[in-house]
Amino acid sequence: MNKLETTIHQFQSLDDDFRLDLLLDYAEKLPVLPEKYQAAKDIGLNRVHECQTPVYLWVEVEQGKVKIFADVAEEAPTVRGIVSILVNSLTDASPAEIENIPNDLLFRLGIGQRVGMVRIQGLSAILYRIKKEVEKQLKSDHLDS
Amino acid sequence: MKDYAYPEVLVSTQWVEEHLNDSDIRIIESNEDILLYKKGHIPGAVPIDWQADLQDQATRDYVTKEEFEQLVSKKGISNDTKMVFYGDKSNWWACYAFWAFKLYGHEHCVIMDGGRQKWEAEKRPLTKDNPQHPLAKYEAKEKDMSIRAYRAEVLYHSKSGKPMVDVRSPEEYSGELLHMADYPQEGAMRGGHIPGAVNVPWEMAVNEDGTFKTREELEKIYLEEQKLDPKRTTLAYCRIGERSSHTWFVLTYLLGFPDVKNYDGSWVEWGNLVGVPIDRNV
Repeated sequence: MNKLETTIHQFQSLDDDFRLDLLLDYAEKLPVLPEKYQAAKDIGLNRVHECQTPVYLWVEVEQGKVKIFADVAEEAPTVRGIVSILVNSLTDASPAEIENIPNDLLFRLGIGQRVGMVRIQGLSAILYRIKKEVEKQLKSDHLDS
Repeated sequence: MKDYAYPEVLVSTQWVEEHLNDSDIRIIESNEDILLYKKGHIPGAVPIDWQADLQDQATRDYVTKEEFEQLVSKKGISNDTKMVFYGDKSNWWACYAFWAFKLYGHEHCVIMDGGRQKWEAEKRPLTKDNPQHPLAKYEAKEKDMSIRAYRAEVLYHSKSGKPMVDVRSPEEYSGELLHMADYPQEGAMRGGHIPGAVNVPWEMAVNEDGTFKTREELEKIYLEEQKLDPKRTTLAYCRIGERSSHTWFVLTYLLGFPDVKNYDGSWVEWGNLVGVPIDRNV
């Protein structure tokens, strides 16, 4: 079981109210966007357009490990929470692990009813974006070498 | 407040802070983002979630009178409690909760002008403590259908050429999009609007700080530009009836239209109905 699956399992084992508490914990521990990406964010680069709430996302692959950096406004704790789950659970994963995550994984968090399925769809777009970005970077690394 | 038709339905953030401990008021937070309340709310405020609390998924309708009574009694609300609603997104969801309380016949309801955004901007107190209010006794009335329209009435209304306001975005009104831009596009088979409806996106009624525009500004938008007539029965709709409850509030209380109904079936119903016309002309 990888880190993301473990997190999803943890969500599934809780009742509704504790699930939201846990999601809020995640929202509060989303790491601050590194300085190097701040300027790009300020001019609107790397925005995930499928999300109504502004979400900015950067993916790096270095020495076989994936790093994810994101920024979401504090006024949108639900979206922040889910992005934070992805950032915390997928950082340091291998590209192969990322590739093998089922696309519908976020639907299994058990918060679809409360968050609204439409919102979960938007958030699933973030997972998709991470996968595509990892794939793209592996390809360009391959061409470079 | 700003010369509105019924200025008593709005209270300021200042007023709320001064009345936090009044025993005859209950503050209700209603948001789109389900975590905002947990992140911190006005001391003493209780949450109401439009989906989890007010809707019965099995019947695709509002909860029964008895369920509503149970819900609000547990939150320490009795028939004469003065309800103060506030929330995120310029009180969009707060207006929806306000409308729902009116549907069950609750008399004293007010909106905190500026909502959560203004309260936070002014750095007023927020807490994570969950308030415990003593169980109250509540008796709801039968649903007040004078503020709610069903599809048959909407069809008749449209065919009779009576006024309607579509409060969605211009792209949804024209049929280009089925939901607001950047939201997943789902829910309706067809895009467009109900024949005869004018388009006034709901957020036209609010300022950047989340407060309502002045009566003069609102009259310019709804009466002068869109030629809506306070003397005529007017229907408001959006995608699922929440954004339109905001406009229902504006027309009814700020501009004093005596007969406004919210069509809560809205576009997800109309866009899918067999045998009813739509319009895509702008």
